[in-house]
Amino acid sequence: MEIELQHIHKRFGRVHANNDISMKLRGGRIIGVLGENGAGKSTLMKILSGYQPADSGAILIDGREVDYHGPQAAIAVGVGMLQQDPLDVPAFTVVENFLYGQPPAMTRREARAKLAQISREFGFELDPETPSARLSIGQRQQLEIVRLLALGVRTLILDEPTTGISAQQKTILFDALQALSREQGMTVLLVSHKLEDVIALCDEVVVLRAGRLVGDKMMPATKAELVQLMFGQEIAPQERSSGHIGDAVLELDSVTIQDRRVRVESLSMNVRAGEVIGLAGLDGSGQEALMRACVGLINVAGGRVRLNGRDLTRQSYRDRMHAGLAFSAAGRLEEGLVAGLTLTEHMALMDNSRAMIDWPAARQLSGKQIERYNVRGRAEDRIETLSGGNQQRWLMALLPEQPRVMILEQPTRGLDIDSARWVWQLLLDRRAHGTAIIFNSPDLDEIVTYSDRIIVFFAGRFHVIEDASTATVDALGHLIGGNFEEAAR
Amino acid sequence: MRKLFLAVLIVAVGLLMALPAVAQDDGLTFGMILVGPQSDRGWSQAHYEGGQYVEANLPGSQMLVFESLNSADAPETTLLQVVTEMVDQGATLIITSSDAFEEDTDVVAEAFPDVTFINASGDNAFTGEAPANVGNTMGQVEWAKLIAGCAAGLTTETGSIGYLGPLINGETRRLAASAYLGARYCYENYKGGDPAALTFTVTWIGFWFNIPGVTLDPTAEVNTFFDNGADVVMSGIDTPEVMTVAGQRAERGESVYGVAYDYAAGCDVAPGVCLGVPYFNWGPAYLDIATRVNEGTYTPEWTWNGPDWSDMNNPDTSSVGFIAGDGLSEENAASLDEFIAMLATFAEEHPDADGLPTAFGLWEGPLALQDGTVLAAEGEFVKPIEADNPLTIWYLPQLLEGMVGASE
Amino acid sequence: MTANRTTLRVALLVAPILLSLLITAVLVLAVGKDPIEVMTAILEGAFRNSNAIAGVVNFWIPLTFACLGLVITFTAGLWNIGVEGQMMMGAVFASWAARTIVLPTPLLIPIEIVLAMAGGAFWGVLVGVLRVRLGVNEIFGGVALNALASVIVIYLISGPWQPPEGGSAQSTPPFPAESLLPEMSPEFPVSLLALVLALVIILTVYFALRGTRWGLNLKATGKNPRSALLLGVPTTQTALSAFIVCGAIAGIGGAYRVLFTFDSLRPLPSGGIGFLGLLVVLMVANHPLIAPIVGFVFATILAGSTRLRVVLQLDQSLAEVLQGFVVLLVLMANGLRGRILSSPRSSPEVVQEQPAPTTVTSAAEAASHE
Repeated sequence: MEIELQHIHKRFGRVHANNDISMKLRGGRIIGVLGENGAGKSTLMKILSGYQPADSGAILIDGREVDYHGPQAAIAVGVGMLQQDPLDVPAFTVVENFLYGQPPAMTRREARAKLAQISREFGFELDPETPSARLSIGQRQQLEIVRLLALGVRTLILDEPTTGISAQQKTILFDALQALSREQGMTVLLVSHKLEDVIALCDEVVVLRAGRLVGDKMMPATKAELVQLMFGQEIAPQERSSGHIGDAVLELDSVTIQDRRVRVESLSMNVRAGEVIGLAGLDGSGQEALMRACVGLINVAGGRVRLNGRDLTRQSYRDRMHAGLAFSAAGRLEEGLVAGLTLTEHMALMDNSRAMIDWPAARQLSGKQIERYNVRGRAEDRIETLSGGNQQRWLMALLPEQPRVMILEQPTRGLDIDSARWVWQLLLDRRAHGTAIIFNSPDLDEIVTYSDRIIVFFAGRFHVIEDASTATVDALGHLIGGNFEEAAR
Repeated sequence: MRKLFLAVLIVAVGLLMALPAVAQDDGLTFGMILVGPQSDRGWSQAHYEGGQYVEANLPGSQMLVFESLNSADAPETTLLQVVTEMVDQGATLIITSSDAFEEDTDVVAEAFPDVTFINASGDNAFTGEAPANVGNTMGQVEWAKLIAGCAAGLTTETGSIGYLGPLINGETRRLAASAYLGARYCYENYKGGDPAALTFTVTWIGFWFNIPGVTLDPTAEVNTFFDNGADVVMSGIDTPEVMTVAGQRAERGESVYGVAYDYAAGCDVAPGVCLGVPYFNWGPAYLDIATRVNEGTYTPEWTWNGPDWSDMNNPDTSSVGFIAGDGLSEENAASLDEFIAMLATFAEEHPDADGLPTAFGLWEGPLALQDGTVLAAEGEFVKPIEADNPLTIWYLPQLLEGMVGASE
Repeated sequence: MTANRTTLRVALLVAPILLSLLITAVLVLAVGKDPIEVMTAILEGAFRNSNAIAGVVNFWIPLTFACLGLVITFTAGLWNIGVEGQMMMGAVFASWAARTIVLPTPLLIPIEIVLAMAGGAFWGVLVGVLRVRLGVNEIFGGVALNALASVIVIYLISGPWQPPEGGSAQSTPPFPAESLLPEMSPEFPVSLLALVLALVIILTVYFALRGTRWGLNLKATGKNPRSALLLGVPTTQTALSAFIVCGAIAGIGGAYRVLFTFDSLRPLPSGGIGFLGLLVVLMVANHPLIAPIVGFVFATILAGSTRLRVVLQLDQSLAEVLQGFVVLLVLMANGLRGRILSSPRSSPEVVQEQPAPTTVTSAAEAASHE
């Protein structure tokens, strides 16, 4: 199957997200789609997979122009997309999710058979009767891949598929993708900012920058070459930094946490001033629960949380913020920012000292922070009109200047290398002034690079790596899959 | 968009100015203000038809109707506004057909001293509270309720009768009590039952018709009656739920009956299970008032009009009536006729004086209220109405001893 | 907002109203009446003389109180169906004062109004507590409390507060003249005090939403309670305060009904005005200045239709049909406006704009962590 894009344009207001993009994609190859955040890769992939219509331009499949509306229609012509957050229904079982979109005549028994057959082919382990809510992100990806294949998809688009899955699952996924392209002649499009993955997997890459197609390259290529293509310049790898580590500020004393998905038993830890603690683990393994318990969004089932010796265990979220904690959640527009409010309104919201709002002052402060945090947006823009990276910057701009402890869920989620580095620069500055940082990330590289100590979670169990400089991405990848015993050996 | 708006505006204003003034009739224009819909198959429709009777019989007369004037259906308007519009249209007589309007009628009437107001079912003209241009009229439906009660007493096999009342006041208490007296009499004297064993239960839904969320649900209440052993349910409300439910249950093979209320065609909902309907016939009274208002001879008064005993159902002469239903057996119909004849004789022996009734059949001692207060001693009649005397039929302060149900 | 956008906003509000008039005209033709006569009757009914205008204003005043209260709860993302009950409790509390307290008018009226606000606020806070403490959706809580308020009113009218001659469940005895809101003049029977109060509240709500920390808290809580909580907004207190303030304002509307429209407590004193307010506020997407304007259009149509019914003897449902079309078309125009106004600004991330106001699906959750 050969896909050709001709002069694709897509505008979102002032943003020209796709600007005259034309390309040919040959079958039987794995093609990496690279670009920094906001380069337009997601938009292009959504257009190709029917999630969004293009403003103008044509899509040709095997030389014939197709005009489809909606992902179902795209699947019908053989193009399917695996979203970063798979679109399954959590309450349904694996087989029920699988049945969605299949021919109405298909019985449950046939569905199970087909599911089992495709799963076996790729070494996926999917129990048909497990509710999808209980699957890991890796398994949900597998389910979606199986579903799309059963629907006869010949071109598979994957958006950041290696985020949040374990090393084992990544190996299985890559094997499957290679089999699909090499043996079955399918086209695989891989949207990723992880250059290692792209190097390991892709046959060629296309690079987008600011809405335009700026280059393509046959693999193999080095990381430095790809970076140059993406940014137009070389970026030196960031050095592991070490700062002055002071006394304990946040003490966790046999903390036990029970949330809907996981139980963390009796965790004790002292977080010291100027220390960065990285939490690794598959989604829902206990690291998020721990962070939320620290800030009081989840009640602890046992144990004590103290900040500078003051017992916060029964304090509310707001009281803990006043006491010197700062928190930002992973889902920016779900938790953290308020879609519909402007940048200035967010800024005004942070100042709760007065009953009346001093709008001129809030605007002025916003303007200052926009400049300081290099946010691409205006003070009167509504927050949801900014790109993800700029939203993240604004979230940082809203955080207090010098809290005792910052607790950050995936601080660089969805950011390109440049933005991510920038965020870390900011965090490290604060750390240099004595702020302790606790963060988690699905990107093990990030954890290894920035942490002083690492805690790895698996299904509520945890393993502490006291000296993060001894950790490697590979070792972490195995640990988050649950191989604690091996690590202990 | 703005051009369109302007164009429409200009056209609208132009046409407004071109409009001829509303033509006025020479004859009497009267307003009829209803609390419910004019087609409610109940109280409001009976008044509406009374107004139509006037239109048909008083040449040149024209009725202006305003239906459903209550705070739920028409919160945007008040009696004053409606009357203002009607007077604007030339109305010189306004009939407010519900006790819901009693107080407001008096207030509004003060503002329109040249217009005659009639508040049906009220008594402010009797007590002297009303201004000089307000009169009242009511039908002696107590008679018809006695007959209806008799039909129920004759028919019940379980010895249990339900009475679905609206809200609780003197009028509704006296009507429920009349029905009870009729039922008890006929159960004992024609059917040979023990009057003490007769269960007569009153449930008040809270208003004249169902207002979801405000009143009890009449449909549910009727079903409760039947579920609890009653086989005859009498309606005291303005709408026909009793007949509807009885009809439905009879279709399922149950041996149940209903008695309709206050609108002559009340049985039509479920004729086969209808024992009859006591009803008002407002036409003659309204025609009388309208004619006199038209001639300029009407002085506001309080009237309580009885049936024409020679033919209760004569549309031109009888103010109240009772139409027996198909659900009444032949034998019971004969007994009922006998009962009616007895009442007629009684009425003849106790004729109205000064336009007021002097006694109602079966309202004879010994009678006591629910709390034991003696209403009438052996051989005495309960007085129909007397100023400042609560122990009368009109003001009946409680249900009677022997009835089950709340008095307040 | 640019001048151009304002024009578009106004056009998209006016056009559907005119269009619904047009559709109604066609319907009127279909039943064999003259639509011009119908429109004339409505306009004459509403504006023929100062008395008629007073009729419109007297309906508009309580509607405006309901609307302004609802603007606050909707801003906080709460569907305060209970506004009807809050009006009723305002009426009950005001009635209590009017029946019980003997004072000259200038002293008594403020007491009545303050009590009415307390009554409405009390009923509002009940919905709020059910919502934030027990997780009962405010729609269900509101419906239940509306019914309860109605039962209380009927109980009072037919029980403890019945007229001396016996209860007829129609009304309490008229309140003493000193306790009633005085009218401006017999030619224009409108309460000046209530009119001024309505205008003051319109402006107060407008500025509170624009310029105060509380208003911003409401807005943030309404749009995303999870985020608001994380940004330090006390979401529970904010939601509760929205119910309290809405109840208090709606309570004044209830008081107006019993202290001016009637002169006594009657069954269903709120008369569905609260529900109409919900429609109006939905139509204007929570705008505290536009809501009273649209409310005035509704008051005109409804009050004018009294004449329509008397003069043309048309069924009352016609005015309701007209009202229904207005609501439907304005809501459609709102959708259209959402597309026109927001499309140039929508981002690649946000494909669809959320309908306003959003329900607070996770407010209770958010609150429980506070």
